[in-house]
Amino acid sequence: MDPSISRLYAKRRRRNVVTMALAYGATGFGLTWLVVILGVLLWEGLSGLSLAVFTEMTPPPGSAGGLLNPIAGSLVMTTIAVLIGTPLGMLAGTYMAEYGRYDKLTTVVRFINDILLSAPSIVIGLFVYEIMVAQMGHFSGWAGAVSLAVIVVPVVVRTTEDMLTLVPDTLREAAASIGLPRALMITRVAYRAARAGMVTGVLLAVARISGETAPLLFTALNNQFWSLNLNAPVSSLPVVIFQFALSPYKDWQKLAWTGALIITMAVLALSIIARILAAPRKTS
Amino acid sequence: MLSTGRRSVVDVALQGAGISAVDHVDRAKVLQRLRLGDVAFRHLTRSAALAVLIILGGIIVSLVWGSLPALRTFGVSFLYEEVWNPVTEKFGAIAPIYGTIVTSFIAMLIAVPVGLFIAMFLTELCPMWLRRPIGIAIELLAGIPSIIYGIWGLFVFAPFLQQYVQPFLITLFGEIPIFSTLFAGPPYGIGIFTAGLILAIMVLPFITSISRDVFEAVPPVLKEAAYGLGCTTWEVARYIVLPYTRVGVIGGVMLGLGRALGETMAVTFVIGNAHRISGSLLAPGTTISATIANEFTEAVGDLYTSALIALGLILFVITFIVLAIARLLLMRLNAQVGR
Amino acid sequence: MSVAAFTVPTVSHAPGNAEDLTEKISIRDLDFYYGDHRALKGISVPLYQGQVTAFIGPSGCGKSTLLRVLNRMYDLYPNQRATGHVRLDNDDVLSPSQDLNLLRAKVGMVFQKPTPFPMTIFENIAFGIRLYERLPKTELEDRVRYALERAALWEEVKDKLGANGLSLSGGQQQRLCIARTVAVRPEVILFDEPCSALDPISTAKIEELIDELKDDYTIAIVTHNMQQAARVSDFTAFMYLGELVEFGETTRIFTTPNDRRTQDYITGRFG
Repeated sequence: MDPSISRLYAKRRRRNVVTMALAYGATGFGLTWLVVILGVLLWEGLSGLSLAVFTEMTPPPGSAGGLLNPIAGSLVMTTIAVLIGTPLGMLAGTYMAEYGRYDKLTTVVRFINDILLSAPSIVIGLFVYEIMVAQMGHFSGWAGAVSLAVIVVPVVVRTTEDMLTLVPDTLREAAASIGLPRALMITRVAYRAARAGMVTGVLLAVARISGETAPLLFTALNNQFWSLNLNAPVSSLPVVIFQFALSPYKDWQKLAWTGALIITMAVLALSIIARILAAPRKTS
Repeated sequence: MLSTGRRSVVDVALQGAGISAVDHVDRAKVLQRLRLGDVAFRHLTRSAALAVLIILGGIIVSLVWGSLPALRTFGVSFLYEEVWNPVTEKFGAIAPIYGTIVTSFIAMLIAVPVGLFIAMFLTELCPMWLRRPIGIAIELLAGIPSIIYGIWGLFVFAPFLQQYVQPFLITLFGEIPIFSTLFAGPPYGIGIFTAGLILAIMVLPFITSISRDVFEAVPPVLKEAAYGLGCTTWEVARYIVLPYTRVGVIGGVMLGLGRALGETMAVTFVIGNAHRISGSLLAPGTTISATIANEFTEAVGDLYTSALIALGLILFVITFIVLAIARLLLMRLNAQVGR
Repeated sequence: MSVAAFTVPTVSHAPGNAEDLTEKISIRDLDFYYGDHRALKGISVPLYQGQVTAFIGPSGCGKSTLLRVLNRMYDLYPNQRATGHVRLDNDDVLSPSQDLNLLRAKVGMVFQKPTPFPMTIFENIAFGIRLYERLPKTELEDRVRYALERAALWEEVKDKLGANGLSLSGGQQQRLCIARTVAVRPEVILFDEPCSALDPISTAKIEELIDELKDDYTIAIVTHNMQQAARVSDFTAFMYLGELVEFGETTRIFTTPNDRRTQDYITGRFG
């Protein structure tokens, strides 16, 4: 091979080796952060984990305590958010996949929905503050639940539409050919066929809102006492973590870590369950 | 509508609807009811779809309404004034806007190349058995709630940076013009740079998975044609795969940018909450979402609250534009593929 | 493919004297595996320099697999491997120390589906040239023009070299791919069913092209079209279920095949 070609070739090979090394390095870099973050979370969170965390209320600084009220508050608000957001999202997704599959409204809604999906959650908090807290004159658990519901809706809309679109038209035609009215065909046939996917969507939405802090900061606010009165401020796990972590008190910081661990475990568990449910129906 | 010939089929339909066999007259009534139910359901779902639009409209309207007092008082100067004084009630948004843009910029600067290289690794270099586990690891990283990034940043990452990395950077760039101002001390640990780094780690999984998905969609024949000419793996990635997937990658990047701009919790803990623009990246600053998160519940006075809502409006407009571009690009990509 | 009567496809090649021929690529006892499945069994066949060798046989007989061994294309896929001996001149192609990039520079390939790169027409050709040579602008342009002329595409694209490669018709795209392969100055060109995605007119043009190219290159072509094999090639190899059934001069294979199976395939009794 003539020398100028071999020089060029050597340069190309060098470049290839360097970039391949960078690719390996980048992957190692990414994985390292995962390990470090999860590692620290487990280390700090586990050391504070005890039964008391689940049975006692949040303490004033300097005393021992637990996370009972924030956990309860989070559970309640999340449940309500799902109860509000899921039907709304499902119905909207149903329209987009069934009645309105090819019409202009669906295109617009799909576009807007995808934007809402990634919209900053703090802005959602401001929105709910304006329409509920400011109007009602006080913070409330309802406002907190509504702000979470607003985050749930786009997720459920998206998964419902995707799942229903995957149901083959032949199934619909079979239902229609026995005279089944549209609405019943959708609810009895299509929903059943897409059931696993839609449940997955709900689980993903729950995982998403479990860790959301910003929208709760000025809707449900916080409450250091046990209270399930949704008309008043309600405690929630993310907000308590926020407050405790930023405080200068060591025992509060410890509880913050433990709370963070609990949230992360819940989110991971939900994602795993969602993944298992989705697996048999995996399409590409 | 239904002829006599279809009677038996209608029976089946009625059965399917859970209605037991009925006689002639009632059947017509039942069918009427079913048809009404159909129409009602159609309207119900249509209204739900419209509700999504209403939510967006509501957000815009409420933000504008809430910002009006501030906007009326300060006008356009709100966008470029640095002052933020709740006592004298003078507010200017330039420091939060600057912080939002700079932290996101730093995040993308790091996350995009790293994400693309990881995607290249996963599609070209990674052994088959390792692909799924690493894919799951990336999803794990994406699923960690942002508040965990926040507290990890505050308690672990920032002190680490303060002790080891920042002093190193300060001395490294000490003599070099421009960089010496960008990386001037003292090493606070928290600050714009730290926030940008944490955002980078948060955005990395998004860029990686979207890039990996589009890279995998490149037709193997195209890559084989390039290998057939004697191209190295890097050359195939750079000259064939990347141009081919350009639209999808940009869409993914803009999506990541949209998230970085709006991120609150990961940033609030480590940004330092200083309402000013410093020359140095290592100094504390603030972002729009961090400002709102920290100050909203304590904001006294309508003008203060309104200024914060105005900040929210600005953030929403910026992210809306970025996300809209991302969606349009990805829609174009889907149209090309014929999905 | 059902032919009622036995019609002999007209053969238009008479290769030179057998003693003048050198083996450019020699294949001996080649086995190929997809995982545990043995797709090629003990293949031994020569590719003579400056000649066109056609590989024919029913679908799944392994002809494309064989072609893809010659430029180690299978190396891209982890569960595929080859054992045996394949030599290009004096190089052991299958050896792990064989430099793949250099091998592929010498052994070019044209695929069944036209695959222009996502670049301009000019860049499609220049890209390959630049991999191996540092040329001043004018010389590069000359080389691009030369490659396009050899692929019989120059006249059609000379005014739109800046257009995207994908804006050409299917036949033109395939000729662009041939030009791209030729530009790199290989010694062997492998054609894997190059015309199966094209219309008859483009097919005819490409067959003409192969005939012209054989002066400078050693060519192997896989085709499921027997008439094409007869028109275009000097030597023909008939493969069936991963084995090489018969090899010889095209004229002889198509008029007096030795093996029963070859005769059955050529007369259309199966395929």
